[in-house]
Amino acid sequence: MKKKVIVACGGAVATSTVAANKVAELCKENGINVEIIQCRISEIKSHLDGVSLVVPTSRIKQDLGVPVISGMPFISGIGEEELKKKILDVLKT
Amino acid sequence: MKSSGVTNPESTETEKEVEPHLIWEGLDKKLILTGCAADTKEDVFRKVGGLLIREGYCRGSYIQALIDREKQYPTGLDIKGVGVAIPHTDASHVIRSAMAVAVLNNPVTFELMGGEEGETVAVSVVVTMAIRNAAEHLDQVKALLKILQDNSVLRELTSAKSPEEVISIFRRKEEAV
Repeated sequence: MKKKVIVACGGAVATSTVAANKVAELCKENGINVEIIQCRISEIKSHLDGVSLVVPTSRIKQDLGVPVISGMPFISGIGEEELKKKILDVLKT
Repeated sequence: MKSSGVTNPESTETEKEVEPHLIWEGLDKKLILTGCAADTKEDVFRKVGGLLIREGYCRGSYIQALIDREKQYPTGLDIKGVGVAIPHTDASHVIRSAMAVAVLNNPVTFELMGGEEGETVAVSVVVTMAIRNAAEHLDQVKALLKILQDNSVLRELTSAKSPEEVISIFRRKEEAV
């Protein structure tokens, strides 16, 4: 089944583009069929239907009711491997 | 909003503007400030944004747009003890894509990207990304981040004395890969 993942940042310009690309590559490498929705943080709520995971590169204050994993390691490079593992754990279940 | 697949650089390469393969080749000396005196991040945005506007890369609205965006979505990064910030804002304020570098005399406080409110980092190097279309510039943004993730490069940049030196630090790093 296709999993839906939201990747979001403040403006959907720079950091979420990088993070979305990395999530897409990660899923491809691991044979996970995924649909990635890249949007602004402010738009997340309107895309939540059927979403398995949200990966923001900014802080999110509200509880979205779905798993949220910070995508910051994709930007800083610190803890990137652990982040990939966490994402796979959520998407493989 | 973009969905699924996200990007496919191969398929778009031919029809889009040709971008330099390496970051250092694309750096414009006129967009690099060394020994930059600033008390606040807003001062930095005024100086760097002013350059980007003067050189025709950004619209007059760019500085305020940077200030507003940074307030809501901060861009400070702590790379193993060295602070760098990558401010950017909506494409509507950008005419041509560019990267501008400011090496600060004294560190300025930025909030941490993705951090809790009030989590800050002292930043000495600010790389402003003026981006028209992120999908087109994905490889460049990724390449830039990869360079900035190396805190020894950041340390070198922190003590750079001229735009030429900044470019050669990027060049050395990219040629070492």
